[in-house]
Amino acid sequence: MQLTPYQILAPLVSFIAILYAWNLWFRQKKNLWEVILWILFWGAVAGIALFPNILTYVQFVTGIKSQVNAILVTSIGILFFMMFYLIIRLEELEQRQTRMVRKLALREAGLGDEKDFEDKVDH
Amino acid sequence: MYIVAVIPAYNEESRVGGVVRCVKKYVREVIVVDDGSRDATAEMARKEGARVICHKENSGAGAATMTGLEAARRLGANVVVTLDADEQHDVGDIPALLGPIERGEADIVFANRFGRKNHIPFIRRLFNGLGNIVTFMATGRWIADSQCGFKAFGEKALAEIQLRMSGFEFCTEIVRETARYRWRIGEVPIKVVYSEYTLAKGQSFAHGVRTACKILLRSFLR
Repeated sequence: MQLTPYQILAPLVSFIAILYAWNLWFRQKKNLWEVILWILFWGAVAGIALFPNILTYVQFVTGIKSQVNAILVTSIGILFFMMFYLIIRLEELEQRQTRMVRKLALREAGLGDEKDFEDKVDH
Repeated sequence: MYIVAVIPAYNEESRVGGVVRCVKKYVREVIVVDDGSRDATAEMARKEGARVICHKENSGAGAATMTGLEAARRLGANVVVTLDADEQHDVGDIPALLGPIERGEADIVFANRFGRKNHIPFIRRLFNGLGNIVTFMATGRWIADSQCGFKAFGEKALAEIQLRMSGFEFCTEIVRETARYRWRIGEVPIKVVYSEYTLAKGQSFAHGVRTACKILLRSFLR
């Protein structure tokens, strides 16, 4: 079986992502349910990369056959990834603002603390 | 037991005073978190004897609840009851809600508006049902009324909770925390009073969809 670079890279990335999810679970940053969803997703990525014939059915349904379509689908995938990344960054900024508002409110109420909100934020 | 009530409030000047007055009978201290209101919510709550904490900016129900929980922790509270400021919840249910915690059976108690005969509009039942399904998909835990703001936190839950979601998604995040920290869960049927006022203040369908998307996206990408 001759493997393309994508067929080597995708399972490797999936393997690292799954290991990372287990690590988050052991550090109690993800719960088991989220880890299972994560494994199913990355397992599917690796599975499709190694056994592209799985997609015959999808190909049949969607009709993606030409190279141009493949480029389009890949571009959409990259755009989605960028959108997710931006959403996460926005959420981080929102969380940072909320922590500042909270810190100020507690301080004004006489409940301020020196080590105010060195909290355990997931990044 | 040092029991504190936390009431997140946004533009609730007409209701918050009445809620504080009634809740005081059941707890040692009442904390009202004024979430950047543009009306006299803070003054009305203070007049009734609540400790008021003011957000300079409107940050959302989740952010206000977490501020109240943090304040209660700093005051040395053992147990916290959270409830809405719009008189939707019957404060007479507080002793029942605290029951499982006092008996050492639960770390967190969720109120259940559907556990007894309440007049709840169909659209509300539908939204809450969808909220429960999204919560189950994101957390793997089924709670009969996951989106209700009326809850009691025991000592363990109060010490460990750290909410990050600012908006109404915080209800789902609390369920997630129960799974993450393996809290024992209690559920207690409560009475609920829906008026035109409370219905008008509820979430719109579009807002509900946005909340659901945020929950699912965040739970996957976290």
